[in-house]
Amino acid sequence: MIKITDLEKVYRTEEVETVALNKLSFEVKHGEFVAVMGPSGCGKSTLLNILGLLDDPDAGSFLFNDIEVAHFNERKRADLRKHNIGFVFQSFNLIDELTVFENAELPLIYTGVKAAERKKRVEEVLEKVQIMHRRNHYPQQLSGGQQQRVAVARAVVNKPKLILADEPTGNLDSSNGNEVMQLLTELNEQGTTIIMVTHSEHDARYSHRIIRMLDGQTVTENIMI
Amino acid sequence: MFIHYLTIAWRNLLRHKANSVINITGLAIGIAACLLIFRVVRFELGHDTFHKNYKQLYRVVKHDAYPDGLVYEEGMPGPVTAAMRVDFPQISAISEVFSSYGSQITIPSGTQAPKKFTESSGVLFIDTSFFHMFTTKWLSGNASVLAQPGKVVLDKEHAERYFGQWQEATGKTITMDNQIPLMVAGVIENQPLSTDIPLSVLVSFSTLPPYGNRYNYTQRWQHSTSNHQIFVLLPSAVTPASINKQFTSFTRKYYDEEVAAKKTFFLQPLKDLHFDTRFGNMGDHTTSRTTLLTLALIGGFVVMMAAINFINLCTAQAATRAKEIGVRKVLGGRRQQIIFQVLSETAIVVSLALLLASGIAFVAKPSLSLLSSVPAAVALFSKDAFLFLLATGVAVTLLAGLYPAFILSGFAPVEALKNKIYQKGGARISLRRVLVVTQFAISQVLIIGTIIAVKQMNYIRQADLGFNKDAILLLDNITDSTSLPKVATLQQQLQQVSGVKAVSFCSDPPSSSNDWSSNFYFNHAAKDESFDIFLKIADTAYFNTYGLQLIAGRSFTASDTTREVVVNEMLCNKLGIREAKDILGKDIRLGGKWYPITGVVKDFKASSLREEVRPIALFSRKEFYGTIGVKLSGAGLSTSLAAIKEIWERTYPDYVYNPSFLDEKIANFYQQETQLAVLYKLFAGIAIFISCLGVYGLISFLAIQKTKEVGIRKTLGASAASIVVLFSREFTLLVVAAFVIATPIGWWLMSHWLQGFVYRIPMEITIFLLAIAISLLIAWITVSYKAIKASLANPVKSLQNN
Repeated sequence: MIKITDLEKVYRTEEVETVALNKLSFEVKHGEFVAVMGPSGCGKSTLLNILGLLDDPDAGSFLFNDIEVAHFNERKRADLRKHNIGFVFQSFNLIDELTVFENAELPLIYTGVKAAERKKRVEEVLEKVQIMHRRNHYPQQLSGGQQQRVAVARAVVNKPKLILADEPTGNLDSSNGNEVMQLLTELNEQGTTIIMVTHSEHDARYSHRIIRMLDGQTVTENIMI
Repeated sequence: MFIHYLTIAWRNLLRHKANSVINITGLAIGIAACLLIFRVVRFELGHDTFHKNYKQLYRVVKHDAYPDGLVYEEGMPGPVTAAMRVDFPQISAISEVFSSYGSQITIPSGTQAPKKFTESSGVLFIDTSFFHMFTTKWLSGNASVLAQPGKVVLDKEHAERYFGQWQEATGKTITMDNQIPLMVAGVIENQPLSTDIPLSVLVSFSTLPPYGNRYNYTQRWQHSTSNHQIFVLLPSAVTPASINKQFTSFTRKYYDEEVAAKKTFFLQPLKDLHFDTRFGNMGDHTTSRTTLLTLALIGGFVVMMAAINFINLCTAQAATRAKEIGVRKVLGGRRQQIIFQVLSETAIVVSLALLLASGIAFVAKPSLSLLSSVPAAVALFSKDAFLFLLATGVAVTLLAGLYPAFILSGFAPVEALKNKIYQKGGARISLRRVLVVTQFAISQVLIIGTIIAVKQMNYIRQADLGFNKDAILLLDNITDSTSLPKVATLQQQLQQVSGVKAVSFCSDPPSSSNDWSSNFYFNHAAKDESFDIFLKIADTAYFNTYGLQLIAGRSFTASDTTREVVVNEMLCNKLGIREAKDILGKDIRLGGKWYPITGVVKDFKASSLREEVRPIALFSRKEFYGTIGVKLSGAGLSTSLAAIKEIWERTYPDYVYNPSFLDEKIANFYQQETQLAVLYKLFAGIAIFISCLGVYGLISFLAIQKTKEVGIRKTLGASAASIVVLFSREFTLLVVAAFVIATPIGWWLMSHWLQGFVYRIPMEITIFLLAIAISLLIAWITVSYKAIKASLANPVKSLQNN
């Protein structure tokens, strides 16, 4: 599903040049659950941004479903993104002015799904993450775990082929964290590919494979049994 | 999708209540002011455009060349009409009208006392061709009824005022000025309010000649009065230039060569009638196009200031909205969609502001007639007003919304999500600075304008006019042959009223809008002097009543006819006589006779302070005493007034009692200027208010943005005072920058305005210093609340948040 080859990304300011990705290469197959680990500043977030088509690489190749997307313009990236990729963030990133239902509905609005269909699908995912009873609440009225469940619901409402999770349990206590990991595992079992950046060895154990990074390069790959 | 935008826009409004209130109030006040200005400008620009021949109609006007410049006049000598009809066959229609201002109309009402009305304007002697040229609608009768003398046509309003229902009017008889019986022969629909040729009581022109003396209408080529005006309708093939050219031979034909060389007749288009301030018209005012342009500019500026607030607050708020925009982009929102979203949010705010603005304008509308010449009867809302609001709405939405929309939609999603936008705000903050400086500059120009206009008007009010205008009651005096014998008794009775200090009969008070002038001969010269002399005809009590000071010689001897003359200093100056006493005993010829000069009076301002002091001759002649000046002591005023009224009405039972106070009449000279001063105050107030809103919004944002900086500074030992200074310094600099821009603009605009006054205040540096002091004070007050709050905050808390 994803194949990156010799991916490079360098951040430049007037005085400093920071190499975030240094000829990084790896592959992720359909249905895999991959954890990316490494210390702060190793390039994990940059990688995730490029994989999520939020940022473009300076050099190298990025095949998404066998299509080269490294050179896509913003508009094409946005189109590809909204149909294929769901995001889960450490800080949830729900829109404060929208209710639970409306937050989960947002991706469907951008993909142009009709209102009746939207209602059906949002209710479906909210049931799935067990937050239906809070559908008319605003994010700040929910606990962290509940907010992250809404974020997961939002990530999957469009039935994306790939979910990118950036430290999804980072702001949660362990029981809420486990609930979210459970949710991701279920989604993976239903066929969704998941790439997750994490600091937690505990969470990484939910994955099939761990890619460890240091200074913009992969160091090791552990296959989980 | 749109509903979704509306939802989030609405919730954003509620969430940022302070911002919303600032945005909506600021915009609403700006737009309301603009809507009222629009009403004024439309009203003024629309004058007489309803006439179908608007573009083909002209007024015949003239100027006379004097050594000190051209004198423009809209009045025409009596015989011009007939002569033009012969000499200009190519003109399709020529019409003459003769206005009578302040005429009294008496309606007999059977056995009861007759009803009396004084018509300040709209009473015209008019010929039938007028109706072929100008657009009027006949409700009863037609133009031909005015072919015979003794006929009158009323407009609907006056027909109803006189007879209850206009249908009752035709066939009835009314009396004009207690002299002319007139039969109502027709009724026309009321003319629109925006006209300089108001038609209320239209008397057939052929009625006028037998009463020519009474109305100062003659068939002499040398005599003209602004009451007599001539209009022409040109066929499209005839250009006004060709007529103007032919006027040269026309004047040569009817005047002797020397006079003709100085006299130029020309055509003034009807479309200039309302705007050419060199001439008067039959309506109540002219308005220069510059004034209208100034008004429109002020309106535009005020709306611009409100739009600037909007831009500043939106871009400032942008940082706090970064996350939302980031999320939307991550979820697949395209840039256009974000732009559309921000624009629709702007549109909602603007629509709310439009609604509020309509409300404010509606409430403020009744005051409009105090500030402008727009009559109360002109409606605020009409089709064009709605179009104007719609256009303003769209313009403001784009003006205020596009920039924030581009800023917000341009956020890179990754950075937006990480809230890195704060740090990248450098360039935008400098744009905000530019915008704030613009706002401050606009309000400072208005503050400078206000200070100068108010100072000038105060100066005029307190200026030494050379006579005493206080506590002088002015009454009409009737000068027809039957009334004249009553004058002596009337004067005696008035003097006996308690509280009356002096009573003078005269042509007009020392300062009036009366322009009676004449050529004159001095010291038995064979040729008349090159300038005209202005005439004040009065009894000997005039000097005492108005406090005029004789600086040489004595007053003329009391007499009902002219025997001696008193002149003013200016006449001596103009004749080159240095010592006033040297003119005493010299003779002056006015009309056909020589009179000795017995005294010189200290100069007084005979007209508005816009003009120079004029050379004046004072002398007695009973027939011209149309005005009574009664000097009151001020004690027991109401009983004195009642007694005076009773005496006057007993003396002149057929006439309407129209008392007025001289100081009020003089204040009326400056009505437009006074209105302008009030307008300046008002708009400066609005501008200051809007810029305060903007500054408050910005400082609130700055306070949030600098929370961390303030926290660190306080941890390191900064005092609360130094934090307040930190916030105020920025705005102080902005105010000073604005001052640098505003000063030359304000100076230029106001010195231009002051040019209109011969007697004017100097442009002092203190005016400008006062303006910047006011701006600084207001900016500091606005900033201080938030700055003090930020400086007192606990640094631990502000640092934790980051």
